[in-house]
Amino acid sequence: MAMFAALVAVLGQLPAIPLAGGVPITLQTLGVMLAGAVLGPWRGAGAIVLLHLLVAAGLPLLAHGSGGLGVFAGPTAGFALGWIPGAFLVGLITQASWPLRLWRTITGTVLGGILVVYACGLPVMAFQLGLSLQQALLLNLAFVPGDVVKAVIAIMLTHSLARAYPAPFTHARRRRTSRGPAR
Amino acid sequence: MPVGAKFLFIFLAALAASLFRENLWVLLSIWTAVLSGYLLAGMGLRGLFAQLWRMKWLVVVLTIPQLIFLTPEETSFNVSRVLAVVLLAALFTLTTATSDILAACERALRPLDRPLRRVGLSAERISLALSLTIRSVPVILSFYAEIREAQRARGMRPTPRATVMPLLVMSLRHAEETAEALAARGVH
Repeated sequence: MAMFAALVAVLGQLPAIPLAGGVPITLQTLGVMLAGAVLGPWRGAGAIVLLHLLVAAGLPLLAHGSGGLGVFAGPTAGFALGWIPGAFLVGLITQASWPLRLWRTITGTVLGGILVVYACGLPVMAFQLGLSLQQALLLNLAFVPGDVVKAVIAIMLTHSLARAYPAPFTHARRRRTSRGPAR
Repeated sequence: MPVGAKFLFIFLAALAASLFRENLWVLLSIWTAVLSGYLLAGMGLRGLFAQLWRMKWLVVVLTIPQLIFLTPEETSFNVSRVLAVVLLAALFTLTTATSDILAACERALRPLDRPLRRVGLSAERISLALSLTIRSVPVILSFYAEIREAQRARGMRPTPRATVMPLLVMSLRHAEETAEALAARGVH
């Protein structure tokens, strides 16, 4: 868990990858999706909570070295806090069975990694800026393609990792025996 | 000033700012608190301006979209409110050592130890995880440097996939080794 919190932090610091359109993105939300998908709901969300505790304590662990309590007072606070339920949902859906099923990983990553994060982020941003929800959504549309690309990368990585190194997927592997009459 | 009291004060200020969002007096008193806070903490006006300068992108991101949708008066009011709260929160970070905050966090968790244990956690485990996280950041950065070096030696382009995959495996292996080392020392 601690290791993954640190991994999410480091992914935020790596040089941003400029997309074809020229919009730079960092890999931090990729880390959030992976935390849920690889560690499962509880430990995945726990890793994000750990990260946020350290950020609130003043360490510059978020994207581009930002950190401190100010992050949680700013307009993007909702997105950062949305990572916690986001990672949880990614883990819950992705690791519902073992071996992992591709459609589950896709549903989980899109629902938890993108929709939940926006659902938490947009109201906070709209409230802070005095905008309506639609206006806030319009402002953030530029980030959606980057998030979709990251979701695709997260899905591919999760499935290669599950084949190459299944040890961390404990939540799903514990459920191996409990799948039965459902299929 | 004790960490907890300082945190509570900033929390209340932020709450007031968002509850009475149209109230000019609340805004003015928060700015007064920000100003006196920076002066009292020995940062002076220069420290305040340095902090403001670090937030220049936040100001741009805040202002432009609002100017599209809202009037200039509303925009300036909103921006100054958000800035005041962020500056106040930044003051907390500037004047408190991270170790003090973490120690206060552990103290605050102590009384919650019993309910925490019920869900398989404890104050010690949480603070251990926090310090492990801090320790892990440089470790993972060194993994990243290693991966980049290997890629450069083979003339590979650093795509996200080719970088994050080995980073994941190395980090998870390291986590497993750390867990073994902890178990060997009697920590579960």
